[in-house]
Amino acid sequence: MRRKGMTTDKLLTVIFYILLILISAICIFPIVFAVIGSFTLESEVALNGFSLFPAQLSTETYQYVFQSQGSKLLNAYKVSILTTICGTLLSLFVTVTYAYVISVKDFRFGNKLAFFAYFTMLFNGGMLAWYLICTKYLGLKDNMFAMFLPYVMNVFNMYLMRNFFKGLPYELMESAKIDGAGHFSILVQIVLPLSKAGIVTVGLFYALQYWNDFYLPLMLINNEKYYSIQYILYKMMSNIQYLAANPSSSVASHIILPAQTIKMAITCIAIGPIILIYPFIQKHFVKGVIVGALKG
Amino acid sequence: MDAVSNKKAKYNFLKFKQDIPLYLLALPGVIALLVFAYLPMTGIILVFKDYNFKGGIFNSPWAEPIYKNFVFFFNNVSTAMRATGLTVMYNLLFFITGTIFAIGISIMLSEISGKKFIKISQSIMFLPYFISWMVMGAILFAMLNAESGLINQFRISMGLDTYDFYSQPKAWILILVIVNTWQSCGYNSIIYYGVITGIDSSLYEAAKVDGATKLQCIMKITIPLLKPTVIILFLLSVGNMLKGNLNMIIGLTNLNPVLFSTTDLIDVFVYRSGVKNGEMAFASAVSLYQSIFGFLLVVIANKVASKFDKDATLF
Repeated sequence: MRRKGMTTDKLLTVIFYILLILISAICIFPIVFAVIGSFTLESEVALNGFSLFPAQLSTETYQYVFQSQGSKLLNAYKVSILTTICGTLLSLFVTVTYAYVISVKDFRFGNKLAFFAYFTMLFNGGMLAWYLICTKYLGLKDNMFAMFLPYVMNVFNMYLMRNFFKGLPYELMESAKIDGAGHFSILVQIVLPLSKAGIVTVGLFYALQYWNDFYLPLMLINNEKYYSIQYILYKMMSNIQYLAANPSSSVASHIILPAQTIKMAITCIAIGPIILIYPFIQKHFVKGVIVGALKG
Repeated sequence: MDAVSNKKAKYNFLKFKQDIPLYLLALPGVIALLVFAYLPMTGIILVFKDYNFKGGIFNSPWAEPIYKNFVFFFNNVSTAMRATGLTVMYNLLFFITGTIFAIGISIMLSEISGKKFIKISQSIMFLPYFISWMVMGAILFAMLNAESGLINQFRISMGLDTYDFYSQPKAWILILVIVNTWQSCGYNSIIYYGVITGIDSSLYEAAKVDGATKLQCIMKITIPLLKPTVIILFLLSVGNMLKGNLNMIIGLTNLNPVLFSTTDLIDVFVYRSGVKNGEMAFASAVSLYQSIFGFLLVVIANKVASKFDKDATLF
């Protein structure tokens, strides 16, 4: 009985390993597929479609992309980087300060401010009102600010930050207070240095949100000058899919779906930075998810 | 008497002076919330207005009669109900499949011993969470399209006909569920993995002494102990039942009208009728309906969740 149990246990472990490898493979497959696709010859795709094992790998697509749309892409990259940096820094500032205030134990309005933020997660005016307020009343239409200001405070991230602050030893702040330190110096000299990991985590969540966003350009941007890399991809997709969705229309019949590999190349350009830094930052995200799940 | 109140007033003043930095520090956040969250809440009066572009939200004339936009809503109630049904259906499907996969993955991770393997597979499975819907949509199109897509190439090589996913609304129920699970299972499994690693290991040791197999441990110890977490996460997701993921639908289907019968979520509907076509009357009514019922759901879900677990009321 006991020995039988041992062997089934071993078998189970082997099955778990296999399943986990399989799931991991499925998780990474689309990304690998996109990379292979971007290095496939357009002529091969036109003839045989996408394949996991193309006859020939080539950088032709990338060369073409940079030659024909280089300046457009470069500009989009600049917009994406600028939004990510400005947005993340501003968001971090607003988030850290607010989170600090509601984490101070004996502040009169602490609970009220916490609820003030929390309530926005319960109730919102809806997309339509938000859109009209942004475009008509705040002037957030076709300018750089429209690309990050509306996301300046993410209440979820703010609570995450507060949870990090709450995990700090309370006595430290208390004794600094007794020594006559004000809130500014407590925040700058004690809280911030001690919660570097938390700030990095929240900052990365923000950076990712800004980098991946195409909602703001979709809603608020018409001017090509402010297209981000994600939005360029969206524009390309909507042009191509229109043709694919209307095969009967006269244009589509003699157009071979254009530039399949180009889309894959731009996809890779868009996820490139994330993939490159991911190995170094993923541990912060894992920590962030766990701290975020232990709300309190 | 006087001295006491004097002392109190002095104390309050001192306290206030001490707290001034806190007021200043809270200010940026308060402004951000006011401008981007509270100001749009005033926009719900749109539903009582006859919107025109010049007047905007506040100066457009009142609707005549005042409930005109609701009449629109009830005359087209089938569209609103379809959108509601789809939104709730997808949220439920996402929750169920997402939870099953997340729990499965986290249990498997907790039962194997290779530390390095756990770390690497965990971060690989977490990776899709960082891929935007737009990027995913582009990759999906390369996989599914009828002409050059990977899957159809495979079908051709098997001697089958090509299958045009982009003209088959029904197929998208499955596609959206798969893609959503793909995207979120790593993230959610981290939460469950955290719960499992927190389980008292003496429980397993005792079971082992009694001759329990791994499978029995999983079925009799781990899964029952995960139940409260599942219930809490479910209740919290109930609060978001009426929220549709517009980003996902735009990214993956590009608002392909052929697919609307299975992809027209509430948010998608409000976006395409209100934002894109400027049909404010109906869109504002749907938007208000979504906000109010969403609010009720969150409040009720939070109430129930707090019965299960005091700390779980936040989201």
